[in-house]
Amino acid sequence: MSKPAICVALEPDLVAAATGDAGPEAAQRVEAHVERCGACRADFARYRAIDGEVTALRSHLVAEPHVAVARAELEARLTDLRSRLVAYRVVPTPVGNVLIAHSEQGVLLVEYLGRGRRPDAAAARRLAGLEIVEDAGEVERLGRDLLEYLEGQRTHLDWPLDLRLVRSEFHREVLRRTAAIPYGAVASYAGIARDVGRPRAVRAAAQALRWNPMPIVIPCHRVVGSSGLLTGYAGGTTETKQHLLAVEGVPLVPVRGDFRILRDRMYVLAPGDSEYCLPSCPSVDPFPRGGLLFGSRDRAEAAGLAPCTTCRPDLHPLVTAVS
Amino acid sequence: MLARAGEMGPAGLSGGELVDDAGFEAMVATHHGEIYRYLLRTTGRTTDADDLSQETFLRAYRAYRGLPPDANARAWLFTIATNLCRNHFRAQKRRRLAYEAASVAAPSTDGLSADGTVIGREVSAAIEGAVARLPFKQRVAFLQRKVHELDYESIGRALDCTAESARAHVFQALRKIRRALDGHARSERKEAER
Repeated sequence: MSKPAICVALEPDLVAAATGDAGPEAAQRVEAHVERCGACRADFARYRAIDGEVTALRSHLVAEPHVAVARAELEARLTDLRSRLVAYRVVPTPVGNVLIAHSEQGVLLVEYLGRGRRPDAAAARRLAGLEIVEDAGEVERLGRDLLEYLEGQRTHLDWPLDLRLVRSEFHREVLRRTAAIPYGAVASYAGIARDVGRPRAVRAAAQALRWNPMPIVIPCHRVVGSSGLLTGYAGGTTETKQHLLAVEGVPLVPVRGDFRILRDRMYVLAPGDSEYCLPSCPSVDPFPRGGLLFGSRDRAEAAGLAPCTTCRPDLHPLVTAVS
Repeated sequence: MLARAGEMGPAGLSGGELVDDAGFEAMVATHHGEIYRYLLRTTGRTTDADDLSQETFLRAYRAYRGLPPDANARAWLFTIATNLCRNHFRAQKRRRLAYEAASVAAPSTDGLSADGTVIGREVSAAIEGAVARLPFKQRVAFLQRKVHELDYESIGRALDCTAESARAHVFQALRKIRRALDGHARSERKEAER
C-alpha cells in the first residue's frame, strides 16, 4: 500500500518538524496534517523518538585519549610548520622587481627578479624545504623602506635578519664584515678577506658575497676589486651595483662592460684608523687592504670619522662631482 | 672600525609575527576536540581522524592570516575538514579500484565499535552503524546538522551545495536511519521470539 500523495509531499517537513528542524510555517502544516492522518502521526512519533536517540549521540562518542594524542601530535607539527613558514612579497623598484621574504625571525632572502613577478627558480631552490606564502601586508613596510633606500632618502635598512640561508660560518663572518661597511663607502674583496683573518681567501670571500641571501640589506655592492673595478654582482650584471653605489655618492665611470670607482676622487680610511685622508696623503695607500674609500666627506663624517690632521681633507676637499 | 656600524643580529620583526599564534592557539583549544570527533564519525577510523584532524589545522594555520576577524572559525574548520575527507575517500576509492580487490569493503561500518571508542546502548550503536553506511554527503550533512548543530548555510558551504540541498541530504539521512532502525527492531523481535 503506497502513501497518499499529500503525505509523500509533506514527508520532508514532517521529518524536519519531528526532529526540531522546521520553520514555524512548516511546523504548522505538519501539525494540522498529523491531526487528521494516523499513519503520519505514527511516523511523526517514530522520528521524534529517533531524534532523541540522535541527540544522545552528541555526548556519546568517547574518544578523549585519541583526541589528546592527536592534539599533541598536532602541536609538534605546528611548531615545525611555524619554524618553516616564510612570507614573501615582490616589490617593483628602480632596479627591477625585488623579492623580499621573511620568517618570524626576520628577513631571510632578498632576490632580484628583473621583470619577474613570482619567485624564480633560484629563489625556489634557496627556499626549498620552507613553507612559502604570499604576504598579505607585513612586508609592505619593508618594501617602502627599500624604495626610500633606493631613492637615497634612507641610508640604513635596519631590518632584523634571519641568517639561516647563509651557507657556512665563513660566509657568515664575511657577511658580518660586509654589513659593517658604512653607507657611501667601499671596501675591497682582499680587504674583507684580510678582515675575516683569511687574507689569501679573496676568491672565497667573493663567493660568500655571491651567495649573499640579502643583497642591498647586507651591502655586498660596497665590495669591489682592488683595482677599483666592480667585477661582479647579482647574476652577472654590474649595472645594479653601479646604480646602488651611485645613489650613495660613490664616483664611478664606465669601463668596457664594467664600471670603475674613481679612487683618486675618494677619501681614504686606513685599517684601524679613525681619521680619513686625502688619497694623496703620505700616511696611506690609495686603497689599503682592510681600509675603506668614501665618496664624500659627509659620508666619512657620518661614519664617525675625523679629518686627518696631516693632509687636512677638511681644508682641501676633493672635487667629487662626476660628469 | 668595520665591526662597529650596522651590526647584524637576530631580533623579532617588530609587529611582524607571521601568524597571530595566540589567536590560532585559542582556536585549536576551542575546536580541536570537536573536529576530531566529527572526523572520527565521518571516517570511522581513529588513524584517519588523527591524520585528517592534524591536516585540517595545518591547513588552517597556513590560511589563518587571510581569515577575516569576524569569520565563523568553527564553520570554516568544518569546511576544511570536510574537503579533506572527500579527498581522502576519493583517494581510497582510487586505490581500491586500482587493486581491484575481490571483496570490496564498504567504508568501515563498524570501525567505531571495533576500536572501542564507542561505548553506548545498543540502539545508539545501531544508529552509529546506520550513519556509517550513509553516502558521503548525507553522512556529512547529518553529522554537521544533528551532532554538531551547524546551520544549513555552513553545511552547504562545506559541501559546495545550497542550504536547501544540505537540508535534503539530512532528510534522506534520517529516512535511511529510520529504515535501518526499523529493520534492526524487527530482527531484535525475531531474536526474542526464538
